[in-house]
Amino acid sequence: MVKRLWQHYFLPSEANNHKALLLQPAFISLFIIGYLLNQSLIKALTLIKPGVLGYSSEITTQKVVDLTNQQRRANQLPELKYNSILSQSATKKAQDMFANNYWAHNSPTGTSPWDFFQAEGYQYSIAGENLAKDFYDTDSMMKAWMKSPTHRANIVNPKYQEIGIGVVNGTLNGVKTTLVVQHFGTPLAAADIPQTPKTYQTEEITTQAKDLVAGSKKELVINPLAVSKFFGTAMFIFILSLIVVDAYYTIKNQTFRLAGSSAGHISFLLVIFLLLLFSRQGTIF
Amino acid sequence: MPLTEIKKHPYDFLLLAIILLGAVISFFIFSYEPHYQRRIIYLTSFAYLAWSLFHHYRKGDLHLSIIIEYLALILLAVVITTSTLF
Repeated sequence: MVKRLWQHYFLPSEANNHKALLLQPAFISLFIIGYLLNQSLIKALTLIKPGVLGYSSEITTQKVVDLTNQQRRANQLPELKYNSILSQSATKKAQDMFANNYWAHNSPTGTSPWDFFQAEGYQYSIAGENLAKDFYDTDSMMKAWMKSPTHRANIVNPKYQEIGIGVVNGTLNGVKTTLVVQHFGTPLAAADIPQTPKTYQTEEITTQAKDLVAGSKKELVINPLAVSKFFGTAMFIFILSLIVVDAYYTIKNQTFRLAGSSAGHISFLLVIFLLLLFSRQGTIF
Repeated sequence: MPLTEIKKHPYDFLLLAIILLGAVISFFIFSYEPHYQRRIIYLTSFAYLAWSLFHHYRKGDLHLSIIIEYLALILLAVVITTSTLF
């Protein structure tokens, strides 16, 4: 009985029209519903228990400034001076994204990045903003920015003279994360240039964040991407194995049947699976 | 069977290899840019569907049941990747 059921569900035979039942469109649809249900549960968890899921990070302000200047030196450009006022505007921007639950240059209420510069009293002739979230380390975040033409243009813009960084931990859409905001600028006149502090003010500024997760590096949070990837990977491996077994039995039994190309299915699913497997954590804007 | 299939229709599978290789390369070029990556996944899925129509039309066995089979598998792949990554 068990053997017959196994054959019916997993192996091609006369009883299932020479195609494993689990590979037939009706069952594939059930897999789709099952996966969407799993994703909905993860989403629901973020709403019921905000902060259980999250991305841990070891990004520091100093490292972001250092790596930015390293990129500028590599492009024969002068280093940017650290400006605490720009750091305050960057931190306020990150706090605003947490407070109003958005991830964009302009807030849902219409506040633009330039409003944050002006609110801190930074009079600029030219200014720019780079955003990043969900990154674990500064190096991969900088690589992501440098790979994007628009973000790279900000980092290696010869017109900028100063930089400020906001690194704030909090909960965005129910998920714990670290938002990094880079504010670039050139003051209107030399007299307006604020004094560059001797020490970075990361810790001081970061603790002002409303949603700060103190010591979040040590806190155990479940990475939602890792959970989804685990289930996605399991699903892909299962389906791919079924197709390989199906192809093996079809050739072994020399069955002629009306069905899609096994080679095509395996290639397509394998490539999509690899894209999922090697996708990286972190988003820039 | 997959290898026999490839030997029987080498040009069809060469075309599929180009489509899939293009998807992999462009996906990594646009790393960290989810808007583009999402489009790449949609485009690759659409290209695979188009390829399947072309392949089975040439083989002479283009039937509705086959199209539904491709659509189901493509939908599964799109749902898993897009709901996980974006």
